[in-house]
Amino acid sequence: MSELLLTRNFGDPTALSLEGYEAKGGYQALRKALAMEPAALVEEVKKAGLRGRGGAGFSTGTKWGFLPKEDGLPRYLVVNADEGEPGTFKDRPLMEQDPHQLLEGIIIASFALRVNRAYIYIRGEFRQSLARMGEAISQASAKGYLGSHVLGSAFSLEVSTHPGAGAYICGEETALLESLEGHKGQPRLKPPFPALRGLFGRPTIINNVETLCCVPHIVSRGAEAWAALGVEKNGGTKMYCVSGQVAKPGVFELWHGVTLRSLIEEQAGGPLPGRRVKAVIPGGSSSPVLTADELDVRMDFDSLMRAGSMLGSAAVIVMDDSTSLVRALHNLTAFYSHESCGQCTPCREGTAWLHKILTKIVNGQGAIADLDRMNSICEAMVGKTICVLADACAFPVQSFTRKFRPEFEEYIRSGKRWSLTGWREEPPAPLAGGGR
Amino acid sequence: MTELDAAMKSRFDQVRALYPEAQAAVIPLLHLMQASAGTAGPEAQRTVAEYLGVPLVKVHEVVSFYTMLDEKPRGRHHIMVCKTLSCALRGSQPVFDALVRELGIQPGQVTADGAFSLEAVECLGACDMGAAIQVGDRLYGQMDEEKALRLLKQLRAEGGAS
Repeated sequence: MSELLLTRNFGDPTALSLEGYEAKGGYQALRKALAMEPAALVEEVKKAGLRGRGGAGFSTGTKWGFLPKEDGLPRYLVVNADEGEPGTFKDRPLMEQDPHQLLEGIIIASFALRVNRAYIYIRGEFRQSLARMGEAISQASAKGYLGSHVLGSAFSLEVSTHPGAGAYICGEETALLESLEGHKGQPRLKPPFPALRGLFGRPTIINNVETLCCVPHIVSRGAEAWAALGVEKNGGTKMYCVSGQVAKPGVFELWHGVTLRSLIEEQAGGPLPGRRVKAVIPGGSSSPVLTADELDVRMDFDSLMRAGSMLGSAAVIVMDDSTSLVRALHNLTAFYSHESCGQCTPCREGTAWLHKILTKIVNGQGAIADLDRMNSICEAMVGKTICVLADACAFPVQSFTRKFRPEFEEYIRSGKRWSLTGWREEPPAPLAGGGR
Repeated sequence: MTELDAAMKSRFDQVRALYPEAQAAVIPLLHLMQASAGTAGPEAQRTVAEYLGVPLVKVHEVVSFYTMLDEKPRGRHHIMVCKTLSCALRGSQPVFDALVRELGIQPGQVTADGAFSLEAVECLGACDMGAAIQVGDRLYGQMDEEKALRLLKQLRAEGGAS
């Protein structure tokens, strides 16, 4: 793909100022949107087929349509900028390199939703993102893009940033609402869905950063032209993150539906010198792993689903033949057992139990039967909890142990502890506890 | 409880005004307290609870839940080493081990001079920069043992806080 939309201003510091962004055609989509009917804007986003870029891939226009009629009381737009899915680093550059693009998307979405208050919930660690979005909000307020009567219209909007404080679970939209209200980040039971009862008990739409960044482009090009940039039912361009054992890790904006092989080999420079790809996580650490024979899959929501995995946050983690997949999986169960919020027993106990078993295996004290035990624990986790963190831990455990079972068995039979990379023997480490 | 000076009081007021409910200001205010006092310990928690008029336990449970809010004092430079998969595949463990050796502290401890504290954290969202570490507000990428030790030297020479 030759044309860039979301990343067109990356690397150009003039885009950080409101004037610089305007000089590149910025805020023209907002002017166009303000001349439209809010309902027509929602229809346009529906027609574009925009699917949520946070991981679930749900139709953004349909989500917007769930918001009830106004009743004169507040309703909210909440921007999910709590980017934390391991392997994902697309929302950070969108905020840090082109903050006004996101702000323009927020203003258009708020107008379409008849919302007068928006919060941007940003990961606490993202200090630069918090600073850049804060500056963009000040600049936009000073020039009438925010505040009362946006650009002289009848529409008013206040936007502010809100810092998180280090909890992966807050990327789950109802945990994010709990956190934004000042509580522990523990997901809520649904229904009621946030569109009816969300932030401070009021109707709320929660959208991912990249999702909202697509909105100005849909408005300025028209739904059909934007959708045509991708493949059927997966329209537009997409940010793909590639990390791990590749020559040139990075974030790449491409047409929606590029193959995983092209992403790894052409965009990310292929494997490290002298190495070959062994396993790839295609959509963030929660998505089932793929083998080197499965790289011709298209990177869109539907194709990856058919391949038994998920596009998720389009975060590709590449592992080569120097890597122990047993150690790699152990790294992931450490993550999930630490990040479980502790609310649901299958997740709190399940993630910690899986991590304990894997710790034992990693230390050379595992048994072949542990592999089946882990899989039966996974069955008791998937679909049994309020949110999908338990599933997100079970999916890699199930897929790693199924697709790479011979490597797991070989590791267990060796009775030794191997390094994550390089196949060196290591002394056993103490049993690490997981969870809270 | 700490008496808020005029500047801090005004920042508290600005934050509080952003929300229709007092509890929502807890996390941003704890961040402010931690940035100025180096900890979100009992003293900071009482200050925030008093200011907002919310029960102390509703502030304490927040501190205990979120990893960035720390009841223990931190060093002037708080070093966060990402240990999650993408960074681990690019050598975060040797970087972490080198920092432990050089600083002579374990995660959660502070060096005797108060300059450094160390923490192994989950994914920093900087996977293209693996192995990534964050010191205060600043992010450093493509770290190896040598670069990590050089960074320590640089931070020592700069003094101050990050």
